[in-house]
Amino acid sequence: MAAKHKFGKERFEAMDWVLIILLTAGMLCILVPFFNVIAISFTSYKEYMQSTWVLWPKEPTLDAYEQLFKDNRILVGYKTTLCYLLFGLPINLILCSTLAYALCRKGWPGRKLIFMLILFTMIFNGGIVPLYLVMKDLGLTNTIWAIIFAQGLNTFNMILIYNYFCSLPEALIESANLDGADEWTILVRIVLPLSKPILATVVLFVAVQLWNEYFQSMIFLRSNDWQSLQQVLRSIVMDSQVVDDSTIMSDIGERNFTNGIKMAAVMATMIPIMCVYPFLQKYFTKGIMIGAIKA
Amino acid sequence: MAATAKTEKVVTAAQATGLQKVAINMRKYWQIYILIIPAVVWYIIFAYYPMAGLQLAFKTYKAKIGIWGSPWCGFQNFEAVFRDVYFWRSVGRTLVINLGRLVINFPAPILLALMLNELRVGRYKKVMQTIFTFPHFLSWVIVASIMTNLLSVDGLVNSALGAMGLDSVNFLGSEVLFQPMLYITDIWKSAGYSSIIYLSAISGIDQDQYEAAEIDGATRWQRIWHVTLPNILPTVSVLFIMTTGGLMTAGFDQIFNLSNAATKNVAEVLDMYIYRITFTASTDFGFSTAVSLFRSIINMTLLVIANKGSKMMGGTGLFG
Repeated sequence: MAAKHKFGKERFEAMDWVLIILLTAGMLCILVPFFNVIAISFTSYKEYMQSTWVLWPKEPTLDAYEQLFKDNRILVGYKTTLCYLLFGLPINLILCSTLAYALCRKGWPGRKLIFMLILFTMIFNGGIVPLYLVMKDLGLTNTIWAIIFAQGLNTFNMILIYNYFCSLPEALIESANLDGADEWTILVRIVLPLSKPILATVVLFVAVQLWNEYFQSMIFLRSNDWQSLQQVLRSIVMDSQVVDDSTIMSDIGERNFTNGIKMAAVMATMIPIMCVYPFLQKYFTKGIMIGAIKA
Repeated sequence: MAATAKTEKVVTAAQATGLQKVAINMRKYWQIYILIIPAVVWYIIFAYYPMAGLQLAFKTYKAKIGIWGSPWCGFQNFEAVFRDVYFWRSVGRTLVINLGRLVINFPAPILLALMLNELRVGRYKKVMQTIFTFPHFLSWVIVASIMTNLLSVDGLVNSALGAMGLDSVNFLGSEVLFQPMLYITDIWKSAGYSSIIYLSAISGIDQDQYEAAEIDGATRWQRIWHVTLPNILPTVSVLFIMTTGGLMTAGFDQIFNLSNAATKNVAEVLDMYIYRITFTASTDFGFSTAVSLFRSIINMTLLVIANKGSKMMGGTGLFG
């Protein structure tokens, strides 16, 4: 993609330098806030007191992290969010792929109607209050199942899978059908193994969505034993911020110290995504391309 | 008379075969129906049943008797909503913020894509794209925490300002700066990711056009202006129209996480208003359902219009 323009013969002009400088500046704008977070999370309370201008701590410590993990909340957060992933991913995959496959098989009565009804949910929904009342009626409020079920199927992801399934050669399915394979076998043995790229993309989308889930958790899940990681992060960062607003500057020691813990909490929430992201970036990119072509 | 009777007979016969066909096909594809049961049940319980709950907008909600038992009250809830001055203010704020986004945040990824495309250091470009795209995958809770840390009174930016001898600025605690901060943090988080679409549109441009332009002696600016931009214009217009379809939704996640006690007056967009009246102020579910139904209908109308528009512009529209 890079060499396509055939500008190679031209010499490096002033504009190239301007571009490099501008884009590097932009990149630094993205990177510096992260480095600042990392630096503060490793800075000792004493050093932070001397200067809040922390680029890199002279004596990195793990104090903030120790404090953070002493607090039970972050562990509750990990437990809850990992449960979301553990149950949410399979549910999403099963619901999405069975429905996408069925919609791709043409000829069964009712297909068009069901498709229309599904697309309709993309542009219109009941909103949070009726959903909350449904969860309450089902007795799911204050359990993780409220969130896992509410996020059990994402129509956009389903359409991504549907488009991919439909692009597979139809003859493949038809011949298996003639050989007497039932639909479930065709889906599991033939279609799914051929669709690994799109399944990987959707798994990643769902994983990120579940990892970042906090709004529905905030509304459906009001217990101390189950709180999503983002909810915990929000309470750690925001709760002490409320204190910030009211405490006077005399309390600055305490205040700066909480800043270290806050940043450690940000790190704890961010690191898993950071670790996975570089390796899976191409799937994300592929996903948005497929989505953009069809959407 | 006899003739009409005859045609009637023919019609019923055709209908019968039609129905038979349906029955035959249903029998043929019975496994498909079993396959879709879980997903269909999901849609019924978590999408359509809540839609039935929208009747609350026309009812006075009584928790004891539930949605279905609560008494009807006509348009009373809507009247109350339209009389609420906070509602209108939140609608106005939503529109203002979204128009700002349209002017500031919409062109940003286009500009970034053009710049990245013109960058001639292949390896560096890949690294940059990776970094620019990353923040998109973080939640607004994380991004807001990072920004609060960076921009707080004793944060890095204010320390830098102080070192340069400038006064410190309370970026996130000021009503005046709230909107600009929304635009800036939004660019920070999502410009890189959104630029991917434009980059892929650019990479699909026919290379002959560039070669022809080069032979004609076009400068680099001229190539961008006369070749690249016209070629991505369809993508731009489709995305622009789709963005206008979301005019009534002003990024709840972002505003909810970036606002605080100091900025709560300027932060109450429609979604924040709905959240406040539903979960913090009162528990008049009839009232809040009416607001959210109003928003859903406006959103749907805008989306349908936007979809028509993008089809007219030669795009594929939202639904292929």
